Amino acid sequence: MFPKIFSWRWAKLNASFFLGLSLSRKPEKDLISSLGEALSSLRLTIGLLIVLAVVSIFGTVIPQNAAPEAYLRVYKAATYKILHILGLLDMYRSWWFVLLLSLLCLNLVACSVGRFRLTRRLLSHPHERLEEAKWKSLSPKKSLSLKGLPVDWVSSVRDGIARRFRAPKTLEEDGTIHFFVEKGKISRFGVYFVHLGVLIILGGALIGFFYGFRGNINLVEGETAGRVTLRNGTQIPLPGFKLKLEQFTVSFYSTGAPQEFKSVVTLREGDQTVRSESIRVNHPLSHKGLSFYQSSYGVAGVEKTVLAIQEKNSGKEHLVDAKMGIRIELPGGRYAFVLTRFVPDIQGMGPAFQVMSLEPNRPHETFFVLQNHPEMEDRRPGAYRFRVREIFPKYYSGLQVTKDPGVPLVWTGCVFMIVGFYLTFFLSHRRLWVRLSTRGKETSLEFAGSSHRNRIGFEQELEKMFQALQEELVRPGKHSKEREEQA
Amino acid sequence: MISSKFVTAVTFLYLFCTVLYFNYLAFRSKKLGSLAVISTWVALTLHTVAILSRWIESYRLGFGHAPLSNMYESLVFFSWCITFIYLLWEVKLKTRIVGAFAMPFAFLTVAYAALSPGVSDRIDPLIPALQSNWLHAHVITCFLSYASFAVSCGVSVMYLLKARRKKPGRPEEGMLSLFPTLESLDTLIYKTIAVGFPLLTIGIITGSAWANYAWGAYWSWDPKETWSLITWFVYAVFLHARFTREWRGKRTAILSLIGFGAVIFTYFGVNYVLSGLHSYA
Repeated sequence: MFPKIFSWRWAKLNASFFLGLSLSRKPEKDLISSLGEALSSLRLTIGLLIVLAVVSIFGTVIPQNAAPEAYLRVYKAATYKILHILGLLDMYRSWWFVLLLSLLCLNLVACSVGRFRLTRRLLSHPHERLEEAKWKSLSPKKSLSLKGLPVDWVSSVRDGIARRFRAPKTLEEDGTIHFFVEKGKISRFGVYFVHLGVLIILGGALIGFFYGFRGNINLVEGETAGRVTLRNGTQIPLPGFKLKLEQFTVSFYSTGAPQEFKSVVTLREGDQTVRSESIRVNHPLSHKGLSFYQSSYGVAGVEKTVLAIQEKNSGKEHLVDAKMGIRIELPGGRYAFVLTRFVPDIQGMGPAFQVMSLEPNRPHETFFVLQNHPEMEDRRPGAYRFRVREIFPKYYSGLQVTKDPGVPLVWTGCVFMIVGFYLTFFLSHRRLWVRLSTRGKETSLEFAGSSHRNRIGFEQELEKMFQALQEELVRPGKHSKEREEQA
Repeated sequence: MISSKFVTAVTFLYLFCTVLYFNYLAFRSKKLGSLAVISTWVALTLHTVAILSRWIESYRLGFGHAPLSNMYESLVFFSWCITFIYLLWEVKLKTRIVGAFAMPFAFLTVAYAALSPGVSDRIDPLIPALQSNWLHAHVITCFLSYASFAVSCGVSVMYLLKARRKKPGRPEEGMLSLFPTLESLDTLIYKTIAVGFPLLTIGIITGSAWANYAWGAYWSWDPKETWSLITWFVYAVFLHARFTREWRGKRTAILSLIGFGAVIFTYFGVNYVLSGLHSYA
């Protein structure tokens, strides 16, 4: 069932096949013309696409652009080195991958230019009058006999074709009348739209590579940033404006899944606020060629926390709103404390506050209060027991900053491709020839057509058209009556 | 949930349809063929109801969204697309024989959704990255293209079965006599791919446009993106190979099988074997 793909003979055959160089090449051909021939070969296209498909797999199996430590955890040092030298750790930007893409582009240009000339010639010099040999090769070919001379039938045949297909060109030669009409010429150009689209997209990608960048800004609420940190660690200034994070909010569904991340920001030029917007996932902010995306968030500190402090002797409980670093006194003035530190996650046991108690006449003592482990607080000696009821965290928002002037070009290329696919796959170039010639005392009508795509569909269409035409011409109807009256 | 029960019913209906098409193939009875077609239309209708009722249920839960957001929902939709695309071809071609090679894909896909314990049918609210109108355009175009490729894969299997048995000068026997000619099978493979390929391209483009909004880059060589490009390369090879005499026929049929293999890996393999940004389905 399968051809022997891996036989040596097959491999040798294909080596010449994919390079487009025939082994029996004439020796007098110079290098440039045979190179040009190889570049404009469809076989090279097929070979390059297969190679690109196969090598692309490596980059999905080997993690790309990870840290060296991450690789060394998975690979041996020697393997890592080999992968690094081969460029497989950043393979889609490696010289050989770019070379393959460039070859594909060259091939695409060479093929398209060569074909385009042929297409243009075909369409600018249509075969309005088919040669006898061509008539014979066309199928299906229909014919019927009509009474009288060809000239008697010209107008009704022309009208019949015009009504069912499109008004034909008429040509008379030695008493034979030729009709020719074509439709969907533009379909032949679809392939060039697609290929041009691919080139435009790759051009857009190149522009993005050379003139674009990607970086990050991490801001705590209230902070202002004037610089972006790029992927490689360098910082560059924002062009003529600063970005201030006014507020960051995160909301959750009742299931606990995140519902929305939102950064409310203002853009300031000098002392003036020029824009005030919110950035959400899927709703980036664009300003002066830069785009800001909501990409991450985290807890940078504590805005405030609600503590429940119980007097162990009396059992009396005080609810206190506490902020970091501010002395807090319990009612009655007998006890005071300050939150000195917040740890988001203390040894995997969740958030914790470091508390310094400021009890009069006693040495200040420092201890940790854990939100998720109240039992630890029960074991601590002292007159007061702390509980963390609620923490209002202070978030930082991680914004990704991107500049990519190639993007409009990429979308333009995509439009070209889609238009090209429509022309190529959903339209077809259809041609119809009809001729009237004298056969003895009668007129013979011959009818044939061709379509460069969807041949079977067009044959059915032709069949129907011919049937209708035949009925109209042969059976006495409106048109033949008119002719009789004229006669 | 009522919609999950519908999906289970659809699964058994598709099994029934598949068996009918197989029987039609084996016994070549016109009645069986008509019965297969009618049951497939009924199954597709119920399948549509199942998808719509899940959509309504998600609104009842308070976070309504189109059922296109996780593995379960995408499998159910993929199966719907396969049946839908197949039936369109059946109407156009007026031949029922392809059903025996297309409906198994629809059945297996929905059966995996309904019966696999690893695929949860819970309706979850959309996480922020999925809250976008691009979701619909992207998912619908991708799965319609995958469905076209599934049909093309089925036809390729028919082509290879017929080509293997065909001996010059001897009439065909058995079920192969019911198959369309090799030439029309070859044309049908091309036509299904000529529909799937532009749809795949639009699927990749809408995915890129969405990624540009959500992640700030239209292309990041994420495994899902790369595998969709690999699939695109394979079908591009198919379309170009048809212009060469050496490749036309068996080899292009095999390319169509490889292409569908790449589709399946893009869909499942990337999620289960590799890891990346595209972790929903």
